[in-house]
Amino acid sequence: MNCQDARRLIGAEPCATAGELAEHLQDCHACAEFQLEMVALEANIRRALEEPPGIARRPRRVSAQPRWALAASLALAVMATLVVWALRTENTLAHEVVAHVVAEPQSWSGTDAVSDGALAEVLSKSGLILDATPYSVVYARSCWFRGHYVPHLVVRTAHSLATVLILRNESVDKRQSFHEDGLSGVIVPSTHGSIAVLAASSAQLDDLAERMQRAVRSQNVAR
Amino acid sequence: MRNYPSEIPVSSIGVSTPGGDADIRITRLFESMRPDLLRFALWLTRDRALAEDVVQESLLRAWRSREALKDPACSRAWLLTIVRREHARLYERKRLELVSLNDALEHEGGALLSRDDGDVHALRSAILQLPIEYREPLIMQVLGGFSVDEIARELSLSASAVLTRLFRARNKLRTLYGLTPAPDSSGTEAPS
Repeated sequence: MNCQDARRLIGAEPCATAGELAEHLQDCHACAEFQLEMVALEANIRRALEEPPGIARRPRRVSAQPRWALAASLALAVMATLVVWALRTENTLAHEVVAHVVAEPQSWSGTDAVSDGALAEVLSKSGLILDATPYSVVYARSCWFRGHYVPHLVVRTAHSLATVLILRNESVDKRQSFHEDGLSGVIVPSTHGSIAVLAASSAQLDDLAERMQRAVRSQNVAR
Repeated sequence: MRNYPSEIPVSSIGVSTPGGDADIRITRLFESMRPDLLRFALWLTRDRALAEDVVQESLLRAWRSREALKDPACSRAWLLTIVRREHARLYERKRLELVSLNDALEHEGGALLSRDDGDVHALRSAILQLPIEYREPLIMQVLGGFSVDEIARELSLSASAVLTRLFRARNKLRTLYGLTPAPDSSGTEAPS
């Protein structure tokens, strides 16, 4: 499969992971990046289509329904709310991380390594320092997330690009994994809050998260 | 808006016809799908009144051929297909009046703008502006959950042509994000 065929397939089915395409993506960074961009775009297309133009303002037609149906609906709604509430605490952080990353698709367009100075500036805004890692940082921005500035990095791994959010003000008890909007990710505890790592494929996520855990440290803590 | 003087409104079929439990169940099933069908029709037609007509006509057709629905689990895809065909039928019967896209976009109003972020709002506008040959398969795939092969069968196209249309639809939307469109060397589409 050549790049043109791969991009046509990704453009038609952004989350496709057919065998031949997967093989191509293993060896072609440019197409892997293209897929990341398309996955992010796809999530926004889905959101855009969820509600049709103007439908929210139209009053619903009310049809006569038996009272038991209303009572059953209410009971179901209460149960659904309880289930959603029970799941909410665990899933909200991951969901918001994905939403943030998807809303910044240009983060995957970078090809050149960010200068050390620019990276240090982004990290220092959150009082952090990043020790050397085997990865090249191709995007670094200080983003407003849940009331704080957090470093939003994109690093190039051996396989493709991965996003790293260093969430100094978000604590998690244990590793959480998630898959949403075509992105796989993990959130791991860190001595400085937590670290979220996301990519189009789940391969190497844990390895990357572990290395980032070791590399991130506070400006106030001397080694 | 068309009237249906000789037809039973779908919303009252289960109540007014002595169809038994099965008919009541299917009526409720159809009614529960109405919001999904209307959303689908709105993205196709870009016109609320027309979309409501299409959905109403589709539900009547579905009701008349309800015996053909063997598996209720397939009802969503089945009804969406009927909506799509009803929309296509409108095009065949008469050239539809062109919907003013500016009007359609104005109807979005500030309420949606304040809720959606700018990117999503811009995407909604861009999707509405896609030509029907690109918008239709995209909506079928994303909203309807149809596979490429299913879309190809429904649109009487080859799977390759559907892939091309989906690729081109998304490629047009890429530019909204300032992303470079992928080179398009797909050429012309082959019919099925």
